Amino acid sequence: MTARLRLDAARCTGHGRCYTVAPDLLSDDEEGFVEQRGTDLPVPGPLLGQAADAESACPEMAITLLDAAPAPTTTDGEP
Amino acid sequence: MSEQIQQCPVSHTDYRSTTAPAGHYDLLDREREASRYHFSDTTERGFWMLTRYDDVLKGFQNPDTFTNDVTSALNPERGIDLLPQQLGGEEHARLRRVVNPYFSPAAVRRMEPFATARCVELIEELRPLGRCDFVAEFAIRYPTDVFLDLLGLPTSDGAFFVPWVEDVFGGIFTGDAERARSASANITDYFDARVRERRRNPLDPAVDLVSRLVQARRGADEEPLTHDEILTVCLTLTMAGLDTTRSALGYMFWHLARHDDDRATLIGDPDAVPAAVEEFIRLYPLVIQAGREVSRPVELDGLRLDAGEVVWLGIGSANRDPRKFPEPGTFRLGRKGVNQHLGFGAGPHRCLGMHLARVELAIVLREWHRRIPHYRIASDAPLVERGSQLTLMSLPLEWDA
Repeated sequence: MTARLRLDAARCTGHGRCYTVAPDLLSDDEEGFVEQRGTDLPVPGPLLGQAADAESACPEMAITLLDAAPAPTTTDGEP
Repeated sequence: MSEQIQQCPVSHTDYRSTTAPAGHYDLLDREREASRYHFSDTTERGFWMLTRYDDVLKGFQNPDTFTNDVTSALNPERGIDLLPQQLGGEEHARLRRVVNPYFSPAAVRRMEPFATARCVELIEELRPLGRCDFVAEFAIRYPTDVFLDLLGLPTSDGAFFVPWVEDVFGGIFTGDAERARSASANITDYFDARVRERRRNPLDPAVDLVSRLVQARRGADEEPLTHDEILTVCLTLTMAGLDTTRSALGYMFWHLARHDDDRATLIGDPDAVPAAVEEFIRLYPLVIQAGREVSRPVELDGLRLDAGEVVWLGIGSANRDPRKFPEPGTFRLGRKGVNQHLGFGAGPHRCLGMHLARVELAIVLREWHRRIPHYRIASDAPLVERGSQLTLMSLPLEWDA
């Protein structure tokens, strides 16, 4: 399943942290909001790191990374 | 402290008083760790203090319950109008849409060359002297000039603008209402003349904020802003942008003058500057609280609030909450989640000027350390931290010229 970045338009108030830490994934509009707000943005594998950074950079907790593959684990469940 | 209301301790700490530098953060840390909530009896109306990161964020994000009819818990009657921030809901959103484009990252990038040039000019003026009061001779002049330029006004007006701004804040935070009123009247008169000028000769509203305010409509088919509203917006921007930037610079340089290792990092790695700015704003928030008024009876986790009560959203407590930021009193570059600090607030009223502030501060860190990498605090005179909205009253620095 492709990872997606959910950007909650109702919560976004334009802090601009997400497109600053994830410039290859997100961009800013004329007012300084993230242009992609209100969407579930597909995240290509190489940009998963930026997507995770965007999620943890949002002061409004408006960004959620969905369906990112869990980190690989060994058979006994230990990393 | 044995008095309690609803099992909350009663706080008598008056955050309007002066302290030593960073003294207010010690007081805030102590109260947050003593109890999740306090009731402060230090103002006529009193206020409930929310101090943990999660509680403060929720307060900012629920503007229907916690309204901007009050914007400072310490000064709930306000005394002067503030636009757009005293508005709520759709009315607020519409006015924000008028001003947002002037303070977006894209707009701020356009003024970066001017800000850099002005910053360098001021530093070069001071450098041969080998000393300065950083607060009075640099930290207030620079953001004032950038602000005037951003509004399309001549920076030479900074010569009389700066003393007015000083008087407004000096008056408000020392309780000298008359001084504050007369200085803010001067600023309003100044903008009054500029606004009338733009009505006669409008400039391109895409780049000239005053022209845009003159032509703006509050939504489709609606009335233009009144003349007084435009003046209020201009005065609010002045009040919001200058004292805060000056104060942030004061704390950054107070810190760097005393921490050679952090200074060495910035001198050696200018690319670390944006991360440093963010961590400085987390560590030294100047606006330590925002006030809100409770619109309806509401039950927080263990606290019952009634309509009409005043709430203190403790920015200064939240940014140093160890539950959110481990070792919160330490300056740490690359700190996890630093971007989530509440130094600029959150929710629909988050600081309009945050992008401008970030760029202004980053420019100073880069340009100053390129030219004056080593400096120290000059005198043994005790430094004083103003209460309410924090600032260092002076910061005498010296260096080998």
